[in-house]
Amino acid sequence: MKNYFQRLKSDIRFEEGLRACINCGTCTAICPAASFYDYDPKKIATQVQSANDEVIEALLKSDTIWYCGECMSCKTRCPRGNTPGLIIMALRQLSIETGFFVESEKGRQVLALKRILGGSILNRGYCVHISTMNHALHPEQGPVWGWIRDNAKGLYNRLGGNFEEEGPGALRKIADEDLKELESIFEVTQALSRFESIEKFSAAKAKSMGYNLTEKADDPYFQMVYTANSGKHKKSRL
Amino acid sequence: MRALKKEVVIIGGGPAGLEAADSLNKLGHAVTILEKEERPGGKLSNWHKLFPDNVSADGILKQMIQKISGDIHLITNAKIRKISHEGKKYSVWFNEGQCIQAEAVLVAVGFDLFNASLKEEYGYGIYDNVITSAELESMFVNQKSLVTATGKTPGRVAFIHCVGSRDEKAGFRHCSSMCCVTGVKQAIEIKKRLPGTDVMMFYMDLRMHGRFYEDLYLEAQEKHHIQFIRGRLSESSENPDSSLLLKADDTLAGSPIKVRADMMVLLLGFVPTDFHKKMGEEFGVEIGSDGFFSPCDSHLDTNSAKTTGIFVAGACTGAKSLEYTLADARSASLKIHEFLLRSPSSNILN
Amino acid sequence: MISEGKKTLWNDYQKEIADDNYFYARSCIRQNFFPGAEKTFLKILKEELKKDVYDDPRHTTCTGIAYHSDVVSLETTMTVVARQFALMTERGYRNFVPSCITSFGIYTEIMELWEHHPEIEDKIRHLLFKATGREFKVPANLAHSSDIIYKYRNEIAGMSKFKLINKNTGAPLRVVEHIGCHYARMFPHKGIGGAEYPCVLSGLAETFGAEVIDYPERRACCGFGFRQYVIQANRGYSISCSKRKFESMAPYKPDLIITNCPGCPYFLDSWQYVISEMEGKTYGQKGQGIPVLTFEELSGLMMGYNPWDIGLQMHQIPVEPLLDKIGVEYQQDDKYCDAQGRTFGKPVIPEMIKIC
Repeated sequence: MKNYFQRLKSDIRFEEGLRACINCGTCTAICPAASFYDYDPKKIATQVQSANDEVIEALLKSDTIWYCGECMSCKTRCPRGNTPGLIIMALRQLSIETGFFVESEKGRQVLALKRILGGSILNRGYCVHISTMNHALHPEQGPVWGWIRDNAKGLYNRLGGNFEEEGPGALRKIADEDLKELESIFEVTQALSRFESIEKFSAAKAKSMGYNLTEKADDPYFQMVYTANSGKHKKSRL
Repeated sequence: MRALKKEVVIIGGGPAGLEAADSLNKLGHAVTILEKEERPGGKLSNWHKLFPDNVSADGILKQMIQKISGDIHLITNAKIRKISHEGKKYSVWFNEGQCIQAEAVLVAVGFDLFNASLKEEYGYGIYDNVITSAELESMFVNQKSLVTATGKTPGRVAFIHCVGSRDEKAGFRHCSSMCCVTGVKQAIEIKKRLPGTDVMMFYMDLRMHGRFYEDLYLEAQEKHHIQFIRGRLSESSENPDSSLLLKADDTLAGSPIKVRADMMVLLLGFVPTDFHKKMGEEFGVEIGSDGFFSPCDSHLDTNSAKTTGIFVAGACTGAKSLEYTLADARSASLKIHEFLLRSPSSNILN
Repeated sequence: MISEGKKTLWNDYQKEIADDNYFYARSCIRQNFFPGAEKTFLKILKEELKKDVYDDPRHTTCTGIAYHSDVVSLETTMTVVARQFALMTERGYRNFVPSCITSFGIYTEIMELWEHHPEIEDKIRHLLFKATGREFKVPANLAHSSDIIYKYRNEIAGMSKFKLINKNTGAPLRVVEHIGCHYARMFPHKGIGGAEYPCVLSGLAETFGAEVIDYPERRACCGFGFRQYVIQANRGYSISCSKRKFESMAPYKPDLIITNCPGCPYFLDSWQYVISEMEGKTYGQKGQGIPVLTFEELSGLMMGYNPWDIGLQMHQIPVEPLLDKIGVEYQQDDKYCDAQGRTFGKPVIPEMIKIC
């Protein structure tokens, strides 16, 4: 049953994020995504407030809902007290739940985000970790980054770190019992089942695109979603 | 048929108060106007020309003030302290223990202009070249030339609509309804004085609802080439040369835009005065969700407050043009007259 | 610019900040890229200001980056946050101090949400107990680490060895500040100075003697955008945002950029390097880029801490020109050494950005 609007309304962020849009454009004017992508937050608000499930389904399958950077600048500006950024968060959640995220290039990136961030949290206790941020994934880090990685222990420990060791400090090893607690929270709040479903939908999509999704770090489908850019996302200028 | 002369106190000596005083006086009543400022006239005193036909505000005001005579008493510098009543007699206390007694009180306190510094992202009081519509009007009144903070003729002036109107963040959801036409009038005035200056209007909806207002809009576009951008200003910031960078969304073209302007004029909304709150809290006069007075009936009796003996007129019940303010004042006068006639203490002389 | 106008506004944004008894939470990004900043914050609080601040090894991420990349739900994030609060409660602390602005935004949002929806707080209490057996109290006070530094800025400046003044000319250094979107955009009253003209950094820099410059794109985002950076295919978004800021601030010839959020210095630093490599364009003087400091690094530098003990060697844009202006003495070889003075050897020198 296509009850997308009702499902959106059950998300507290949607309820907080949308009252009614006056179409003034104060959100779009300062939206970093609107200045880069073919994206318009006020249009999102107008589309969802139509309560039209067909329109919402099209959004859930589109690249559009994945352009926002969640900077929340829109919240400060809206004269009606709407927050398009929160509407987007509710739409993205629903897109993941319904599996529609795999229907767009930007949506498919959810798999890579899940593996990079989810994996880091459950294995390291933090969203990012130097050990997984290599130069191939992060060439923008420049030569200094390579030098930091090569000399991590000595360097971090000079700077208040406790590199990969027990006890307090930057980049300490998070104790197994603490990681277990995180995993347990992920279990009871359904983050783990959400992860499984992201993998499942992605595997099916990968198959339809001629890939065989594996768990390897250099998996070709993972690499593809991490780097693919059709070049059709940017705003066309008059 | 003549009514016995009754005493009426009018709080506020702006256009509504002055017009009502004249009407009530002609209906045979004695009127005292309590005006908080040194001079009567209210916001009309700071107005250059009236929309839509460019009549001199000063000329109109002079005609209205000339009517203060006979049984109209004007007390200026009057700060209202308290209103009390005993039976049918109302006592209006002002300044240090002074009191006027009357059988009816007309509240005609008008409105305040939105405090522009509350709209922080527009930079009023922070950026050098942001002024308000009231300040611009005052420049016109005082024959001051429009120059930037560094004394240069502005190459581009941007008018910003809905500053303090239709904005729940700023605390005011209502449309002030008069700012659109004010902006267009002022923009045309700038073009007349400075034909070489670009003028842009950033609006959300252009509500040119009054008679001949649309003609003013047409004139602005056709004759003066004023640009209208349908997009509310999101924020402004200051450039190194103290000009302004405006960020808005051109919602009709479907694209966010950045515009450089030498000056920005904020079209301030009409907001309730402090007196509204005081009247509401201390004297039980009903206040609407917009903070303005709510009359007895929003259609059939727009001038009687729910509190017996208290009447309201003019922009204190919501934004109005001068034309409608004066009509409303005359309407209130008639309501007061009817009330005084009905009053059991009235002796009707045949 | 009428700076008095800003000061009048600031009166409306006075935020309550606890004066002691802090439970500190490290940041995912800061501890990886600016570990010296966290070290400096703790050192200033403990050793200089004699405050009680606790760095618990058991705490973790708040999941912020994953939450804003939409791979975990609000419920998951709230429960992880509840665990952080439980650790604080168990250790006998009342005031929560995150190092991260994304976290600060998340904690603020969650505390606001729970205040208005106690049933959600109850649900999270239940979930946390089910998952970990822990219970918690909501912090009495939540402040970002920069709020604490701001609160004690006069004390810190009083103990400082240096000022943000060019030692050769006597002129104040020109500083631009970048506040980080999630500091006050969502809840302006939770930020010192509000969302439009926050003074948490500008006030600190002025206390150190700097001239703070307001530039047109000051409010704009650095371009992190969570998924817009984490995924390589999206990084055009990120770099274009930072570039817009560099172009806007460049005419003012700033001597340095100071930052509030852990992510922003990472982007404002590394995108300068990338722009130089991609386009041959460098900002700042003599092709050396505009140095970017975190508020902790700035405070440590003013206190006279060794720049290589507070982590300035981890920046891509060289800080030496700035150190020279301020008059900070440093040993070039020490930059590439561990705590015991053993050298690592130098990194490869980038082609475009000029490294001293």
